[in-house]
Amino acid sequence: MSNPTTSSSWKPLVVNIWRSIFRNPLPSSDLGRASTSFTNFFLHIHPVKVHRHSLKATYTLGLGLIAFFLFFILVVTGILLMFYYVPSTTQAYDRMLDLRGTVAFGIFLRNMHRWSAHGMVAVVFLHMCRVFLTGSYKPPREFNWVLGVLLLLVTLFLSFTGYLLPWDQLAFWAITVGTSIASYAPLVGKEMKFILLGDSTVGQEALLRFYVLHVAVLPAVLSLLVAIHFWRIRKDGGLSRPEEEDALPVPPAEVELVQAPAVVMATSPAAAAAAEPVLQKRNYGIQGLVRGPFTKVGNVPDRSVFAWPNLFMAELVVFLITVAGVLLVSLLFNAPLEEPVNIMHPPNPAKAPWYFLGLQEQVSYSAFWGGVGIPGIEVLLLLLVPYIDRKVAGVGRWFARERLLANFLFLTFVVVNVILIIIGTFFRGPNWEFVSPW
Amino acid sequence: MKTPVKPALEESGDAMTRRRLLSWLSGFGLFGSLIITAFSNLIFIKPRATYGQPNRFSIGRPDDFPSGARVSLDERRVCIVRDGDKIAAISTTCTHLGCIVAVSETGFSCPCHGSRYDQDGNVTGGPAPRALPWFQITLAPNGEIEVDKDTEIEAGNYLRV
Repeated sequence: MSNPTTSSSWKPLVVNIWRSIFRNPLPSSDLGRASTSFTNFFLHIHPVKVHRHSLKATYTLGLGLIAFFLFFILVVTGILLMFYYVPSTTQAYDRMLDLRGTVAFGIFLRNMHRWSAHGMVAVVFLHMCRVFLTGSYKPPREFNWVLGVLLLLVTLFLSFTGYLLPWDQLAFWAITVGTSIASYAPLVGKEMKFILLGDSTVGQEALLRFYVLHVAVLPAVLSLLVAIHFWRIRKDGGLSRPEEEDALPVPPAEVELVQAPAVVMATSPAAAAAAEPVLQKRNYGIQGLVRGPFTKVGNVPDRSVFAWPNLFMAELVVFLITVAGVLLVSLLFNAPLEEPVNIMHPPNPAKAPWYFLGLQEQVSYSAFWGGVGIPGIEVLLLLLVPYIDRKVAGVGRWFARERLLANFLFLTFVVVNVILIIIGTFFRGPNWEFVSPW
Repeated sequence: MKTPVKPALEESGDAMTRRRLLSWLSGFGLFGSLIITAFSNLIFIKPRATYGQPNRFSIGRPDDFPSGARVSLDERRVCIVRDGDKIAAISTTCTHLGCIVAVSETGFSCPCHGSRYDQDGNVTGGPAPRALPWFQITLAPNGEIEVDKDTEIEAGNYLRV
């Protein structure tokens, strides 16, 4: 039998603690929705209100979010894998076998990490395609595009450094080939390869260096860039959208109905008589100086909705789909692990990871042009895209007619690279000779 | 009567005021230390000693290699060629992208991107940009053959044993 006095004296304390952590109760008014987004650490990264156009799944395809969530999964599974991994040429491969055989959930975590990594490369690339094909790099979003290209490069480098860590045949030869490509860079190539490997060939030093890059340096760089990338979305006025979106008729104002405060009802019978829902005068605003193309709250007719719950539900759904996808793939397919490194016997053909097979195919024609020259030009052009193409038309729509030429050129670039990857993956056999997969 | 006002130095555009000089100097100082820091880091991560395979090593006595032998020492990444009393060491690191080339009937062939070389290491096909280098090979006082991978010699320079 519990003493009612005790339980009632406990209750305020619990409420107190709860309220001190979650300053806002679940919001039931617009004011509440605004301050929930505003006062919660995890939510304050988001705007209080978000444009309806930005919530269209068919516009963004959620690709940026998926890429971020995959990175999140990679960080979590990566940290867990670090508990059992040793970056040593004599132990690394055995640890891979241990993940398979003895570590609880080891194989599953490795699968999740490997498949998320592949997925992240693909999704980051697709995200870039989305941004280009909707013309979203146009002013004022030029620099965020540049950050995005850098993020793609860091993602590739992260994948590349992770590739060596299992210390199997695939890893060893892919890195041997990959770092040799780097050595073709003019002037600094040889030095760069030596510094990257810490030796003249791939060995213990290279494994340690790649490990440090993979688990510390590159994730830190990526996190910083992601933070700036997200921050700039806010500062650039949210996601891109066609200008005419803002001119569309505003949906009928959702009049905010709130209950009169209970205190008023208790103290004044007159107010209690008028206890009907009353219109609350909006007496809040965004703090600070708001200039430029920001999502505006309240004072102008706009087509935005509150981030809580519209944006957060959308993000939650994307997160759940991403996690479900990774879990499913990891249950169905095991991450490949080849024979342990055998320096005497390079596999024939020795192939890089799929996203570098286009590069490897180019390299088979000319090491300098295929591995350094053309990729260098491609990256440079990608970085300069928003500064070359400055016409502000057709922003915020997929395949806008006004952007026919730009989209055509970009799609050519995409298709050529995809074809090269397909050739490298399926049509190259021993000695990199042309073979038919059928 | 008005006292003539001396024009403030800051206003005359090009003049070097004390403030401007100090700003320049501290700017240089900060930027300079940034560059020095970057360079120091670069020097730091470039290893002074390596822990892998040494580039000078001995491979045994000449008798270990019978005439006509083409023995590929994959761990050393070098192929020992003996023809009568002539002996040489040819690199087996593909000049294209650093894979280890395999000894084939016609010479060497690379499994990675299909480069092919003849018996002397000259390119006969594939993307390899240049021939396989030959390494300096000497007879040490103890009668063993020593290969020095730091010194490349012209193709066709055999050591007579």
